[in-house]
Amino acid sequence: MSIINDTNFSETLKFWPRHNEAIYRRLESKHSWVERTPGGHDPTGDPLENEMILNIGPQHPATHGVLRAVVKLDGENIERCVLDIGYLHRGIEKIAENKTYQEFMPYTDRMDYLSPYSNNVAWCLAVEKLAGIEVPDRAQWIRMMMSEIARISSHLIWMGVGLMDAGAVSMFLWTFQAREDIYEIFDEVAGARLTVSHSRIGGVATDLNEAGINLITKFAADYPAVLAGWEKLLNRNRIWIDRNVGIGLLTAEDVVRMGMTGPNLRGSGIAHDIRRFEPYLKYNDVDFQIPIRTEGDALARYFVRLDEMKESIKIINQCLDKLKTLRGPVRANDAKKSSASKSEVFYSMEGLIHDFMYTDTGVAPPKGASAYHAIEAPKGELGFYLQSDGTGSPWRARMNSPSFSNLQALETMMEGGVMGDMVILIGTIDPVLGEADK
Amino acid sequence: MSEKLNKGPKAPKTLPFEFVPQEAETAVQNNPHAKASTEVDGVLDAMAAKFGPALIERIVYAGERTARIALGSLIDICGWLKTDQGFTYLSDLGGADRFTEDDRYEVYYNLVNITAGKRIRLMVRVDEDSMTVPSLCELYPAANWNEREAWDMFGLRFEGHPDPRRMYMPEDFEYHPLRKEFPLLGVPGSMALPPQVPTGELTQDPFPAAHGSKTPWSYEEVESEDEV
Repeated sequence: MSIINDTNFSETLKFWPRHNEAIYRRLESKHSWVERTPGGHDPTGDPLENEMILNIGPQHPATHGVLRAVVKLDGENIERCVLDIGYLHRGIEKIAENKTYQEFMPYTDRMDYLSPYSNNVAWCLAVEKLAGIEVPDRAQWIRMMMSEIARISSHLIWMGVGLMDAGAVSMFLWTFQAREDIYEIFDEVAGARLTVSHSRIGGVATDLNEAGINLITKFAADYPAVLAGWEKLLNRNRIWIDRNVGIGLLTAEDVVRMGMTGPNLRGSGIAHDIRRFEPYLKYNDVDFQIPIRTEGDALARYFVRLDEMKESIKIINQCLDKLKTLRGPVRANDAKKSSASKSEVFYSMEGLIHDFMYTDTGVAPPKGASAYHAIEAPKGELGFYLQSDGTGSPWRARMNSPSFSNLQALETMMEGGVMGDMVILIGTIDPVLGEADK
Repeated sequence: MSEKLNKGPKAPKTLPFEFVPQEAETAVQNNPHAKASTEVDGVLDAMAAKFGPALIERIVYAGERTARIALGSLIDICGWLKTDQGFTYLSDLGGADRFTEDDRYEVYYNLVNITAGKRIRLMVRVDEDSMTVPSLCELYPAANWNEREAWDMFGLRFEGHPDPRRMYMPEDFEYHPLRKEFPLLGVPGSMALPPQVPTGELTQDPFPAAHGSKTPWSYEEVESEDEV
């Protein structure tokens, strides 16, 4: 007899009773700055003017994944909000401690799954800093160009889904058309559409081929016109502007205090971008602007992301120009620090031994070393803090993920707003739960 | 490609393979990724002048400065860094398990001065017997969720934290999974895995089974505190 037939699952699998109690207790005891309307809450009156606790998510189409929000409503106004994350927690830091540095790289694809290439680059750069590995110039330019394409692809999802939440379903389809072009580029360059895993410690897996360069050139040439068309539709669109203006207002002090990062920080007038703050790869050698808005509302963040996509196209064009003339290897020529090239592995004994050793142990940074390296991912500062114990796997791998930092401020943003703006607020934060939940 | 393969392997003449083992010291000195923003020697000197023995150790690696400070002076030093030195932005906060007998855990703080373009890392060590760290939520509200995460993952208590709940795991979970003694393959008493065939029995997790723990047949609901 099967246990499945015997078990009453609705009773036995009641989900974490203590956890829900803790959330409701927090909701009751939380200090909120929202003032209560005097004289309201008449139990016999209009039900829309009464208090109510509403549970949104984790399975809700507007929560961009598995975000759960428990809100206390006064009519339509959100009085208090408690966020609950962790529904996608996979213990990725624990996994990293038990993998070699190179083995862990594909796992970073699954963090911010809207821009996997940036995560690969962030991880590889952190390991390279820890082990002191120099990366060939051509590989750095390729990484930079592909990271900018990943930025556009991430902002496309934010735009399409954000607009769909506001009711414009056709935008969702159009942005996915543009994303399809980007998927084709990744397919050609990395061999995979979503989980690219193209970056390697000490360089990248493969050099760009002719077809890949053509696809990127075509995309960089065509995309500005597509974007201009969308701007024509949206920038003077009454519904889109009215839904966004003055929503989720954050001052410059607020965003710094709450540790927000990325476009959310720059939408409130703080000029902080890791590409300028501590330039990595070749960002010192390209000409681009950091878009900044001072209004601090959802509309400002919309314009910041829109302008960022244009700047990314500028960077991609400069990378394409540079890569035409810049030739050379795409991986460090050091078998202790980067995997050996196939010609070595196939035709020499040393190469085979090093390939085996690299797969088995991999990079072994000095004992007691620790380093932090951050990049400007599409969502903000994505940093890895690594501690080495001298073996081939990190003793501690800590990831500082931008979605986690940004979601923290969402509670404050929602309190005082109305229920209808909730989906706009989640969209304007642009969280990815795979990254926030680790 | 196929033409190339049909020609057969060419005689390997000189392979582009050079391996020069690098000493740890040279890796520290000549790190190509060292950033100007982490050059905060002036700040550390000022900190040493003001707080004296509270600055226990300066660690330099890959151009990064880490200041190990006394646990008792954490709030004072952070307050001084925020008001006098302009480190208003808390970028990251996290714990680590050193798995040593003394001062087993450490907590580090990654502070940023946005206007001056500087980054500093503070580190405190916490003993297994005390497990308490003063909370930075008053100074940096950004520390809120990060401290909850450190409590969830390592069991570090943050004194004065306004909302000391777990971050990722449910409250019903009794372990702190990023501690080094936490196994990779489940904990004793955890839920059994589903049957491998439709009519089979539940599968025992290998780790609890190896340690003599019988997995319960179905998930038994934990009684909530209030009902007891």
